[in-house]
This record gives sequence, structure tokens and C-alpha cells, in this order.
Amino acid sequence: MAKSTYEPKVFSKNLFGIMKRINPGIEALELYEFRYGLNDLVPEKGWESVKLDSEEEIVMRLNNRDFYDGIQIQPKAGDRVVLDEQIIRLAQMLFVGLITGEYEQDWVKMHFYFDIRGFYFLHRTLYFTDNVLAHFGSKPFKRFEQKQKSFEWHQDVGYKEFREANAEVDNLFIESVKKIIEFRGTPILLAIAGPTAAGKTEIVERLRSAFEQAGRQVTSIELDNFLTDRNYREAKGIHSEGKRALHFELFKQSLEDIAQGYKIKIPRYDTVYATSSHDLDGNLKSDGVPIEIEPADIIFIEGNFPFLLEEVVHLIGVKVVYLTDDPIRLKRKWKRDIDYRKKYDPSYFRNRFFKDQFIMAQIAYIPQMEVCDMTVDTTGASLWVMPEIAEILSK
Amino acid sequence: MSGTNRLHTPPRAGTGTTTECFSAVLFETMTRINVGIEDLELYEFRYALENLYPEAGWDSVKLDKQEEIERLIGRRDFYLGIQLRPRAGDRIVLDGNIVRLTRMLFAGLVSGEYPEEWVRAHFYFDIRGFYFIPRTVYFTEEVLVHFGGKPYRRFEQRQRRFERFQEVGYRDFKDANAEIDQAFIESVKKLISAREAPMLITIAGPTAAGKTEITERLLAAFEQTGKKTTTIEVDNFLLDREYREDKPMGKESTHFDLFMRSLAEILRCSPGSSEVVPVPGRSTGQGYKIKIPRYDFIYATSSHDLDGNLKEGCIPLEIEPADIIFLEGNFPFQIEEISSLIGIKAVYLTDDPIRLKRKWKRDIDYRKKYDPAYFRNRFFRTQFLRAEDCYRPLMKVCDIVVDTTGAALWATPEIVEILNRD
Repeated sequence: MAKSTYEPKVFSKNLFGIMKRINPGIEALELYEFRYGLNDLVPEKGWESVKLDSEEEIVMRLNNRDFYDGIQIQPKAGDRVVLDEQIIRLAQMLFVGLITGEYEQDWVKMHFYFDIRGFYFLHRTLYFTDNVLAHFGSKPFKRFEQKQKSFEWHQDVGYKEFREANAEVDNLFIESVKKIIEFRGTPILLAIAGPTAAGKTEIVERLRSAFEQAGRQVTSIELDNFLTDRNYREAKGIHSEGKRALHFELFKQSLEDIAQGYKIKIPRYDTVYATSSHDLDGNLKSDGVPIEIEPADIIFIEGNFPFLLEEVVHLIGVKVVYLTDDPIRLKRKWKRDIDYRKKYDPSYFRNRFFKDQFIMAQIAYIPQMEVCDMTVDTTGASLWVMPEIAEILSK
Repeated sequence: MSGTNRLHTPPRAGTGTTTECFSAVLFETMTRINVGIEDLELYEFRYALENLYPEAGWDSVKLDKQEEIERLIGRRDFYLGIQLRPRAGDRIVLDGNIVRLTRMLFAGLVSGEYPEEWVRAHFYFDIRGFYFIPRTVYFTEEVLVHFGGKPYRRFEQRQRRFERFQEVGYRDFKDANAEIDQAFIESVKKLISAREAPMLITIAGPTAAGKTEITERLLAAFEQTGKKTTTIEVDNFLLDREYREDKPMGKESTHFDLFMRSLAEILRCSPGSSEVVPVPGRSTGQGYKIKIPRYDFIYATSSHDLDGNLKEGCIPLEIEPADIIFLEGNFPFQIEEISSLIGIKAVYLTDDPIRLKRKWKRDIDYRKKYDPAYFRNRFFRTQFLRAEDCYRPLMKVCDIVVDTTGAALWATPEIVEILNRD
């Protein structure tokens, strides 16, 4: 490699050209802007100092949970949160490898996507594993035009355009759920799982209004309300996952009751004080006020892991995973969580998004896809259903 | 990162709370204050609004009279009082006075206490930052008089389409300014050909107005015509930070004598006059090569001591003679001694709302230079103060103002006369 290859101006100019082929959105940038983004990643000792791992090593590392567990979400330089070192190293390696030709562009594109706003590479998460594909009989029930392709050029994605891009697959999904409910009868419990910013809340709202228009009574149960006091969970190291974090007996009983058409009283979790209205034995505390839920035809279970709890899974009449690809979800979060909500420090957010997707896919979404009735893949614009459901829908 | 949020529940008959009604009415009203709001869903508007929700509800917001507000935003103290880094826990948050202003305007718009036209006349609403900012006046009476009351040339205002944007990138900006920039470049060329080289040019202008880009284009244009160009960054004349304290850029914060001497040398004239002194053995149109101080931004120190002598172990910057010398930086070029040395004094201006959108893209999205809340506080605080301290005084004495947002080129009668020559 000629020495000048690594000279910052030459390097950035050439990289700019190559990156347009990795992410066409880069074409909308001026070289100026690309350099501004790149500046934060220039290695202290110059680009020539970056040691490249082999492609196999990189792939192996990125498919191992340890790598993600090791990502720090709040590393600091002075009083500012910065990008995790491993994330920086990965981006630096890929940049240099693309320039030297050590890494094929196709290989990079296959395993990574480049987020322009965050200016870093992220590993693509595989959701449709062999097991998942087998569960759905290997092909989608229906496939539409992939309108989210137009988002490739966007640095962030707003609600309106997202809804418009998903119109076809969303409509079919809503019709399908209606059909299943007609077939299975009410009251029925309906759970929709899906990664952050996949579009769960919006689709639940649309389902709700569709049912209400059809004269159905609709209600929802937030799983989070069954959480026990945080102090207790932290002392036991339980965090917020799984049945041990919940008033599980109460939860199970509540679902059984409402599925039979009874009004229920459930615990109320105070997110500010992180306390439950109920004590650890499941009894109402003296100052606790439970939530009353009237019987309804359709009951939504809201939460991240609604049908991973074996003891209640049989109570849930329709199990759905609502999926949107990581790059699009990240762009939605830039708009929603950073621009509008101003919820996180942008670097903390970059670290956390990088860290969480693989882990959450492993512990929550892939396992739920393997047992669900249907998966909506908004990016792939396809609806996947298990053979049994396909039969109902085809009637 | 749970996606469930009560804000998502649209108001339903019988269950709609005041908060939901307030945000729905405000959303509708705000589309008339900033047309870009039309591209938001009510969802998104509510997400952003949530951060400004007063603890005791919107009813609790006390509204000041319009006159009081106008007085407040016209006062220097108000801006000086804006804190850049107020904290809630370990996070930087929006300054309390900024929050209060935006809340008042929201509540006053919803109640009808503040007319929409009044709000629009005095404030603009930045969607990305989700707050109101007072409009800065750059073209004061005095400035208008200086330019004979009307612009030299006016073009179609193509930045209008940025109204809907939440941030503005380089390419869009360059495209929108193509005509006015071209007219400016042609004008500068004409002025240069009407005068003798070497010549000093200054282009001042607020942050993100587009100074760097236009300077690069001017440099390229001159080089194409075979002129030798160079630039002097005024910041290099700064004293060590510990000696400057908080003094603004000017005589007292720089190696001013060195600065004057350097300019005189590169122009080959005696300090304090623009009279060109012939240099034996040199071709006409050439000044001396100069050595100037070098300012280290990381350590905030100058290569020169307070007496203007090179510190041991330091290396000055060498600048070759040239036909056209750009002085870069926001120095108060209206200072008498300097003013007379400068051939063309230009101010390059872009309206605050557009500059803010450029900075969102450049400084926050790409450079990741600031904490976003710090950035919002700082932009709010600085525009009024900088206009008062720096840009308006310069505009009163400069030769040309390029107003990219107004798509207008302003020139003094004297300059217009040169530009209109055949």
C-alpha cells in the first residue's frame, strides 16, 4: 500500500467513494460532511496503525454473545459519553479493510450495515433462523413490494412515511387477525411481541380501532404492571425478565379469569417509585390501589416477552411477532427517541443499540418467532404464518 | 426500551384528559407557526412536547403580557442569564427561562392570549430542538441607511423550501444559494479588478452561515483566473487563553501590534495607511512573506509571548505573499486601524432558523460536537449577543452583505457605483 493511501485527506476521499456502495445514502452527503463524521473515528496514530483481523475472526466474534455483553454503554472521555472501544475498533477495521481491499465490499454488506447518523457499522441480526423458517413451512404466506427500500437514503424515519410504507402488509395482517379471532371465538387474548421501534404500538392502535369499529370490546394488560418492587428484584439479581420478576401467580390467574370473561383486579406498578401495589405474597399493600380491568372480547397483552412464559402460553389465542429490520428501527429511533423525545445521550444510544439487538434476538424474539402464530416482517413486506393458521386464513 | 407509552392513546370520547386536548389543539395551531409541523404525526409531536409538560399542568403556566415578553427578549441581560449547562441529575437540560418562554407561548397560543402573527413576528419555532427562539434583527435602521435603503440585487428566495426541513445539509444549502453566491463572486472579482493587488478580503458572518464554503469557492474562482491567493486565520493572533480571560476578540485579546505589522508587510504598506510602498527588486503586486504567531487550540496557547516575541521551542506560521489575502475569523474589522487596510469587507449572513438547521446536521449529527441540550441553550443564548457585539457593528461599515436567506446582495452606494461600471 502506498504511504499516501493512509494520508487523512486521501484516505477519507477514497473511503467516501467506497462507502457510497456500502450505503447509497452516503451519496446525499458532501465530502465535507463525510469528513466531519469520520473525524471522530480517525485513529490517534493514523489509519496505517489499524491492525486488521481476518474475516472469519470477525464473524466468529460477532456471533458470540460475549462480544455484546462486553460492550460498555456509558464509557466516558472527560465528562462526555463516547462510543465503546470495540465498536470503534470494528468501524476502523472495516474502513481500512475496505480501502486496502482486504475485506470484500459484498462481505461487508452481507454482515454489516452502516448507519450514517451514528456513523458506525453494526452487525446485521439474523431473525429468520433455520428453526424459524421450518416453523413457518419455509416460505411466507404473502409477500408485497418492499416499500421500505426507499428508506435506504434516509438518515432517520418518521411515523408517517413508515406507516405508508407498511400499508399493504399491515392491512393484510389486520384482516388476518380478524379472521383468526372469528374462527377461534372471544374472549381472546392477543399478544404482539417485537423489538424496540418495530412499530408495535402503532399496529396495536390500528388493531384496536379496527376491532372497536366492528363493535368489539377491547382492553389491554400491560405486563409491566405485574413487576415486583425493583428493590427486591435488584437484591435478587432478577432485573425485569422472566416469571421471577413478576407476581406470576397473580398474572396467570388474571389471564385465566379474563379469558373466561371475568372482570379482574391486577397489581399497579409505579414506574416513578419502581414499586408494586402488591407485596411479595401477592397481597395488596395497605396503600396500594389495584387496576381494574373490565371484561372484553379482545384483550391485548403488552410487553416484550408475552409468550415466553410457558405456563400461560396456552391462554394466548393469537401470538404475533412484529418485526422491522435493525437499520430501519435504528433510523426510527433517531427520530423518535433522540430528536423528539430527547431520551438518551446520542453516544449512549449508539452503544446501547449496538449491544442490545443481538442479545434481544437471542433471548426474546427468535424464541418467540419459533412458537408464534404469525410474524409480520415489515421490511421484507411479508406475512409469515404457521401452516395451521394458513389453513384458517385460506378458508 | 419498551415501546408502550400512554401518549400513544389518542383521546377518546369521555376519557380525553386536558393534556390530550391541549396537545391536540396545540399541534393544529403549531402547523400555522411552523409549516414543518405538518410532516409530524400527533404521536411524534406529543413525544417532544412531553419534555416541556409543566409539573402542575398547562393550566399552571402564568402568561406574561406581550409587551413584557417583547421587552424581555430585547434585553441583553435575558440572554446573559441563560445557563448553558443546567442539570437534572447527570443530564444537561434546557435552561429554565427557555423552558418558561416556550411554555408561555404554547399556553398563550392555545388560549388565544397571544395572536399567531405576533408569535411568528417575534419568534421562530425549531422543530428538532422543540423550542421557540427570538428572531434576531440584523438589518437595523442604521444598516439599511448604510446600504441606501435597498439591496443591490435580489433573487428568488430558494431557502423557503427549508421551512419544512428539520435539518439542512451542505448540498441543499449550496443549491439554494447558487444565484446569490454567483452574483457575490462576480462582484468581488469586479471589485478586485478595479483595484490594485495585493488586497485583503474579510468575510465575517455568524456560525454556520456558510463562510467556509463561500471562501473556498472564492479561492477557487481566483485561482482559476491565475491570481495567487492565501489565507490568514485571525485566531492565530490570539493571546494565551489565561491572559485573555473573557475579553471578546479584538485589540486586547490578540497580538494586535503583530497583527497590524503582518498585514502591513504582506500588503507592503506602512501600518495605519493603505498607501502602497514600492519594494525594490519585487514585481508589482507582491508584498512580503510574513511570519505570524501560531495558536494551539488544544493547549489554548500562542507561539508568542505577551511582548510579541517567539517563545522558545515554538514555530511561527509562514505565509507567502499573494495577490488576494483572505482574513478568516470573526475579528472586529471595523476597528479604525484595521478597517483602512482591508480592501473588501463582506458580511455573509444566513437567517438564524436556517443556521440552526445546518448546525443540527453538521455539529450534532455529523460532528457529534456537543450535547444536544447544551447546544440548544447555547444557540438560544448566543445569537442576540453576537449580533449586537459583532455583526451589526460590522454591517454598518462593511462594503457588502450577502443575505443568503433573503437571497439579496447589499452593497454601499460607493461599491454599487464600481459594480455598475461597464
